[in-house]
Amino acid sequence: MTTDGGTLVSARPATGRIGRTRRRPILLAGFGLIGLAVLVAFGVAMGSVAIAPLDTLAIVCHRLFGIDLGRSWSAASETIVWDLRVPRVLMSMVVGTALAVAGATFQGLLRNPLADPYVLGTASGAALGAAIAVLLPVRFVILGFGLLQGLAFVGALASIYAVYRLSRIGGLSPLTSLLLTGYAVGSLLAAGLAMAMYLSGTALRQIFSYLLGGFDTASWPQLAATLPLVAIGCVLILLRARSLNGLLLGEEAAVHLGIDVPRERAILLALASLVTAAAVAVSGLIGFVGLVVPHVVRLIVGPSARLVLPLSALGGALLLAFADVIARSAGEIPVGIVTALIGAPFFIVLLRRARTGYEL
Amino acid sequence: MFPSLRPPRSAPLLRLSSLALALLIALAACTGAAATPSTLAPASSSASPSLASTAVPSATLAPTPTTASAFPTTVTDDEGTAVSIPAEPHTIVSLTPATTETLFALGVGEQIKGKGEDVFLYPPQAGTVPDVATFNSVDVEKIVALAPDVVFAGGNFFTPPDAITKLRSLGLPVVVLYAPSVDAVYKDIGLIGQVAGRPAEATAMVERIRSEFANVKAAVAALPKPRVFYELDATGAIYGPADKSFLAEMIELAGAVPITTGSAQKYDISVERLIAQDPEVILMADAPFGVTAAQVAARPGWKVMTAVKNDDIRPIDDQTVTRPGPRLFLGLELLARTIHPEAAIPSATPIPPVP
Repeated sequence: MTTDGGTLVSARPATGRIGRTRRRPILLAGFGLIGLAVLVAFGVAMGSVAIAPLDTLAIVCHRLFGIDLGRSWSAASETIVWDLRVPRVLMSMVVGTALAVAGATFQGLLRNPLADPYVLGTASGAALGAAIAVLLPVRFVILGFGLLQGLAFVGALASIYAVYRLSRIGGLSPLTSLLLTGYAVGSLLAAGLAMAMYLSGTALRQIFSYLLGGFDTASWPQLAATLPLVAIGCVLILLRARSLNGLLLGEEAAVHLGIDVPRERAILLALASLVTAAAVAVSGLIGFVGLVVPHVVRLIVGPSARLVLPLSALGGALLLAFADVIARSAGEIPVGIVTALIGAPFFIVLLRRARTGYEL
Repeated sequence: MFPSLRPPRSAPLLRLSSLALALLIALAACTGAAATPSTLAPASSSASPSLASTAVPSATLAPTPTTASAFPTTVTDDEGTAVSIPAEPHTIVSLTPATTETLFALGVGEQIKGKGEDVFLYPPQAGTVPDVATFNSVDVEKIVALAPDVVFAGGNFFTPPDAITKLRSLGLPVVVLYAPSVDAVYKDIGLIGQVAGRPAEATAMVERIRSEFANVKAAVAALPKPRVFYELDATGAIYGPADKSFLAEMIELAGAVPITTGSAQKYDISVERLIAQDPEVILMADAPFGVTAAQVAARPGWKVMTAVKNDDIRPIDDQTVTRPGPRLFLGLELLARTIHPEAAIPSATPIPPVP
């Protein structure tokens, strides 16, 4: 939007800048991919148990390509590298992608810069589901998923469905209604969560650690179930980047562009919620990634959803994988603390340096 | 460009987080260093009058000395999970202080290669065992690297259930222990003995604790039973023993009537309820954290309580009281002596050193 306007108004002095802006996304993507590779290497090589880098490499090569590098290692090392570290690093990236794409979608959809994946009550719903699962005296694990992950997923989707349905009644504009209903339902669920926590006794710690988020439980089966959901959801959202751009202009403008506003809004809402639910079910409530990554991307490449969505996906993966490496090296502190701790100052610096005219 | 609505999300969650933190800190007294005195006992423990009848299969209680022939064995842990132990364990990871202490007392302390953090470090030799878990988290990587033959974990959320699931999914045998009652402590010691290949020693240990408990019981039998409030923490809300908790049972056994929170799920007690229950003795388990009798007496509303009027506010070191291990009888004796300072409570002979 801003970019297009710029070309029309002041073509000449802007060409250089536009040219740079055009190339920027590709450069960014390139750096991002390199960054991801570095983070994978770091994440797999690092841990509380020291394993020789060459052993780590040999284990990964052996498991991934069946290549034998002529080294021997203990079964414990192999388990640590292949069953603990690799799925964890990959899971942090998948969740980071999910949160950032969902955040970008919600911000565009609600036309609100403070929106994030949790804005419509998803967080409270998932947390309440998790808390109930903790308090129920039932334990089972299927494909790396226990009751906690299951109920968190269901809670997230159920809460957003309730918000969506409730917001359609009454005479408020759809966006205002959605946001306010989201707030109301979120508060109600939060009250339920507070009650569950108050009654949880020794289980409180488990609920609390879910609220802070983390990747302790990451495993291959979990990854195998989460990755397709997130990948498909993100791709489908990406395919609707045009609708998202239209909606960003406002309802009227979107209609003029031939967009079926209520339908597109519902579909995008459903997709973003699905992606969010898949992420929070496995990772707990990790804040900040979904709020800030899309803004950072927009500050750099402008507001077009075609660029913002894929680059947010990359940025989310980078930020969360980085945060998890930091969290692990700092002695397994909850990753949600780290994302805010490293993300917020970075974001403030970026905002201060931002040129005027930044809008969603 | 966008409506001037401020999205709402952070407010309720932030408030929740601070609530959670407050509760966590307050609960640390009950869940932390000591194994957890809380929630309802499984029905089985109250129904089991003795160790021999239910806890340990009779084979391991045979009078023969311990031999390796007890393995392979399958035990049912306190969460009802059947755990197979193929051979006598040489490498043990113990994630609760009480289990660490029990294993040392059973003579297999050398086999413990990783332990859960313990602020008291008892016995002192436990200090040389590296920590593989803190109060907050379990380092799964470190445990896997030790390749243990068995892992003892704490139930009722002492060890995060996620960590237990994870360890089991990696093929490690995990025995989850949680003793909500004194009988369950006996059962757990038997279970630990069976898994560690020391069933005879475990039986002897249980007999020892039983006889010391019987001595205390006899000593307090004829004494009046004062109403006792055992204060775990009162920096925010007032925390004390929940109904039917391990701690409440210990206070009863020490010859007193415990003042409880009024629910098995609640850990805090209102001042009103406390005043209505009118404690005759207040035990300050928070004394090691600097709480004094003068502070307790000065709290608003507390001066009407009999314990405050008579100045029966006494400090107690709750390490042995709340830790369900081999020194439990010392805890009971300490409790009885603190509640009945004028009575003659028999002193136990010191625990023989670890062979």
